Amino acid sequence: MHWDTVINLLVSAGLEISVLVIVSIGLAVIFGMMGIINLAHGEFLMLGAYVTLSATRAGLNLWLAMLFAALVVGLFGVVIERLLIHRLYGRLADSMLATWGLSLILAQGVSYVFGPSTQGIATPLGNVRIGAYSISAYSFVLIGAAILMLLLVLWVFKRTRYGTMARAATQLPAMATAVGVNTKRINMWTFGLGAGLAGLGGALLAPLAGVTPSMGQAYIARAFMTVIVGGTGVLTGTSAASGLLGGIQYLVSYLSNPFLGQGALLILAIVILRLMPTGLSGYWGRRL
Amino acid sequence: MNVLRTRTGLGLAVVVLVLLAAAGLTGLAPEYRLLNWTSWLLYGLVALSLTWVWGQAGIFSFGQAAFFGIGGYAYGIVAINLQPFTGETFSAVLIAVIVAALAAALLGYFMFYGKVGDVYVAIITLATSLVLLTFVSSTSDPSYHIGKALLGGYNGMVGVPPFSFGGTPLASGAFFLVVAVAAIGVFLLLDGLRRSPFGRVVIAVRENELRTQLLGYDIRRYKLVVFAIGGAVAGLAGAGYAAWALFINPVVFGLQQAALVVIWVLVGGRGSYLGAFVGAALVQALSLSLGGEGGGVTPIILGAVLILVVLLLPAGLVPSIARRVWRPRDEKIGKLPEPAVEPDILAGTGGGTPLLRTEQLARAFGRVRAVNGVDINFEGRGVHVLIGPNGAGKSTFFNLLTGRHRPSAGRVFFGDVDITRSESFARARRGLGIKLQVASLYNQLSAFENLWLAAYSRVSDKRRATQRAVDMLAWLGLLEQAHEPAGALAHGQQQWLEIGMVLVTEPSVILLDEPTAGMTREETARTADLIRTLGVWRLVIVVEHDMEFVRRLDVPIVVFHQGQVFARGGLAELQRNDEILDIYLGRGGAEHVQAG
Repeated sequence: MHWDTVINLLVSAGLEISVLVIVSIGLAVIFGMMGIINLAHGEFLMLGAYVTLSATRAGLNLWLAMLFAALVVGLFGVVIERLLIHRLYGRLADSMLATWGLSLILAQGVSYVFGPSTQGIATPLGNVRIGAYSISAYSFVLIGAAILMLLLVLWVFKRTRYGTMARAATQLPAMATAVGVNTKRINMWTFGLGAGLAGLGGALLAPLAGVTPSMGQAYIARAFMTVIVGGTGVLTGTSAASGLLGGIQYLVSYLSNPFLGQGALLILAIVILRLMPTGLSGYWGRRL
Repeated sequence: MNVLRTRTGLGLAVVVLVLLAAAGLTGLAPEYRLLNWTSWLLYGLVALSLTWVWGQAGIFSFGQAAFFGIGGYAYGIVAINLQPFTGETFSAVLIAVIVAALAAALLGYFMFYGKVGDVYVAIITLATSLVLLTFVSSTSDPSYHIGKALLGGYNGMVGVPPFSFGGTPLASGAFFLVVAVAAIGVFLLLDGLRRSPFGRVVIAVRENELRTQLLGYDIRRYKLVVFAIGGAVAGLAGAGYAAWALFINPVVFGLQQAALVVIWVLVGGRGSYLGAFVGAALVQALSLSLGGEGGGVTPIILGAVLILVVLLLPAGLVPSIARRVWRPRDEKIGKLPEPAVEPDILAGTGGGTPLLRTEQLARAFGRVRAVNGVDINFEGRGVHVLIGPNGAGKSTFFNLLTGRHRPSAGRVFFGDVDITRSESFARARRGLGIKLQVASLYNQLSAFENLWLAAYSRVSDKRRATQRAVDMLAWLGLLEQAHEPAGALAHGQQQWLEIGMVLVTEPSVILLDEPTAGMTREETARTADLIRTLGVWRLVIVVEHDMEFVRRLDVPIVVFHQGQVFARGGLAELQRNDEILDIYLGRGGAEHVQAG
């Protein structure tokens, strides 16, 4: 194999893994820190993509539009937490059902406003030539973005006051309240953070995939699998699970076809859970 | 228990179905209505499969729509290939049911034998549907075919034969009747299962998994069977749906379909079998009147219904209405038999001399060696107490004996059998009775039902289990509280009830973890007498903190220290041992300080 083939394969695999990180990190933050599975996560991604689309059409620079999308969806998450989620703490099944209802409403609502057809954002930056291959430069942006998002989460939870309190609230909620942590407020920000990361994820994916009201559905199955294989440790879980699942998906897709790749991802995920029911981070005893 | 008067409900349902059928057959209602009603019944059947796995067994499955789809595709494939030759599609229905049940069993095996948590079950079932959606959607190429059946990708499989017998397809009236009879049949079957001992154990699994396991039930197997039955019911509905629509497409694996099944059940009420049908009919009628299924405003309404039901009416429609129409009345309490005059409470044992032995047993958590090479054996009858300061490793040791923790090294023998790797339920089956520190009961079930479940795990006979439970109630002095929910009993009574549950499984060795924690003085005294009585008949191992209680028991003592057995002997003898006083009073200073 030529060196350029190797690099091409590595970038493609890295892209697959990065996409998993990008689509699942927001879900992982909410699950790991609050124990809630947000079934509207796919629609949060979709909202991020639409905000980016609208903002660029209004003349905003693409990169700024992406950050703007993260902000808008994050605030939307805060509102949703206040209106809906905070009534359902401790009711796991109900919180899943309510967010599911939300996802149906969002997908159809956006379809009313923007129409059901696929709209596109041109992929920026063009291509890079590597030997005999031409690779989209945007692939490198996505790989970099995935790494930055992981670092951002690490920084937030390790270095900020909010992060320390959030981790305290996760480990011993009663104790955290007793020493003066306002767990309600913490939960609100955590949900907002997760939603914001989802919005950013959707924004980053917008140039890669078509923007449609149903685009969330295309990613959530993989996002859920990544998060449960990863377990409640947001960073270790997300990165390890993305690496494993994205790797296998790419490998099988490369050797056969993309849809067997998806099947391989599901099977690997189920086998891992059979062996490590609390996910990779649970198995390693990692909390973050 | 939030069990509705299913009989009354069923009577009502049959009347409604007969009226509808009459209307359809006499031409009072147009044919398209009859077709609608048929589909609602089929949807009700999928919803019923979710009521069964979720409402009954507490398995939170989002995958019932997927099993519905699998059943539909299986019916289509088999019927397209066989019907031209055999002229019937009964075999296709049968195969569809089996395939769906097997799919559920396979998925269930990974989930339940992997012991994944509730969220994970929900997500795995949902993700499985979504992967099936992608999978089946990409089979539009004509090369994807099974026999003569083209899978058809996103457009679906067309030309699925209707239900037919002897070469002729059923007319819509007859089709409605067949589906109605099937629905009633499944309803009765599941209701019968619910009332059977199997169903009671399933409820026990839902209420308290840990306790059920410690009574010797293999909860993984129970869940697997429940899930496979749920898959079969959903598959039956799917086969009916494919025969009704004459085609099937991957939409059945989509998110909206999965959500619909949950919505039907939520609206109807997850505790009610009738609710499954009411919910399906109501929601479908609503979305029909809003302009057809699928597109348009329907998803928004469905989403709103989902959120509103969760927030405002978590019990669902049918139970909420039923509570108003029928006055809340307890389920008929069967009269219990009289307790035996001289109950044989402690008879029937594992036989032979009870013996529990460990060899170099060790367990480390990270770098902390909580249990560090324990060689100990307990033989014959009598009570032994394990004591030691906090962090001495006695609780970890206890959990190694019960099977809650796996040892890092060493072995555990029960009699001659190596049980080091056995699951908790298997240890209980062999005759290891376990009572954990915090009372672990079925709080919603009555004291009698608690004991019955324990007795049944041993005798596997309904009547004998009832008798044994009553005898034990009498022996514990809890006869008057027989029908009270266990959660409403006083703290001491709960502890005794749990000890009774352990005894009724006829263990040859009994493990008790701090049985007097949180008890009053009198309760402690009574518990000490109880345990001494048990010691006459059984090998009893007690982990205890309370030295007053230990003094009162006055039995051989094992002292744990730093994960090892430090000393064994009587209380008087140990009290003369200076080192033990050091350990307890911390006179040795820092070297004894350790992680817990």
